[in-house]
Amino acid sequence: MNNFSILFQKEWRENVRNFKILWIPLVFILFGISEPLMYHYLPQILNAVGNMPSDMVFPLPDYTPEQIIMSTIGQYQFIGMLIVAFGFAGIIARERRNGTATMLYVRPIAYTSYVFSKLAIMCILIIGSACIGLLANVYYTYILYGAVDAVAFIGFLGTYSIWLLFAISVVICASSAFPTGIASVISIFLLVVLQLVDGLLGAYWTISPWKLPMYAGQILTGSFDKTPYLWSLTVTIMMVVLLIVGAIYIAKRNVAKAKI
Amino acid sequence: MEWDSVPWLLILPVLIIQLLLVVVALIDLLRVKNTNGSKWMWAIIIILISIIGPVIYFIVGRRNE
Repeated sequence: MNNFSILFQKEWRENVRNFKILWIPLVFILFGISEPLMYHYLPQILNAVGNMPSDMVFPLPDYTPEQIIMSTIGQYQFIGMLIVAFGFAGIIARERRNGTATMLYVRPIAYTSYVFSKLAIMCILIIGSACIGLLANVYYTYILYGAVDAVAFIGFLGTYSIWLLFAISVVICASSAFPTGIASVISIFLLVVLQLVDGLLGAYWTISPWKLPMYAGQILTGSFDKTPYLWSLTVTIMMVVLLIVGAIYIAKRNVAKAKI
Repeated sequence: MEWDSVPWLLILPVLIIQLLLVVVALIDLLRVKNTNGSKWMWAIIIILISIIGPVIYFIVGRRNE
């Protein structure tokens, strides 16, 4: 446990120095608040920037607050996942390459606490930023569209955090197994491409981690099926545990690959 | 569109956060030793491409070593 706190301090310092602690929350907040603004003022924006004929009428639908929040989740699912995959693909792999790993591996550290320090810093950075961003989003949606049910929103936030935890463990496992480049490609494939595949062909099955954001949205609107949701949650948490255990095991085996 | 009808109180946070991102990215650009590619190119990218520019710099341009 002592190991863990020292390794965690190292991670924290590193992320403060490379400004990740600052720019990741800022980006999430930015997308969180620009989405409701964009939807609400779309007619005015089109009037101001486009050479539209003055008698043109846009039949814009009336959005509910839930739809605006789900559209923000759509943004997070794409841009947020790109940031997670590209920004953190090197979290273990990079240390093997630039020599930090040799400094660490000669000491009697437990790989469990090594991987858990990575997991903790990523959880704080990504889940924290996404939660702050979504709270800003709810505030703006409240001003422009109306309130959402507070209890449903907490359920939604919790479910989305579980999905983010899954994304984080995918990135950590990929990073512990492969060099940075391959790890980022694999994470992009698992987080963005498979999500598109699940969206296209997903009508044939109901239980998958990639469906969790969709179930989160259903919790928000208050119309959801309990059984497939709970099963998806269970499967996702089991996969998270497997990925983390795998990451610890592979990190231990890949010690020999560290560049000296 | 008239100047007064713009909801400045709502848009101001967006502008402030964009400015903050640009400033943080530029400070970082001045502090790091080398980047992938020339520093001038990154300064132009950070300033001219809004939102995505600083993010691209942090992910691609910065050599994390």
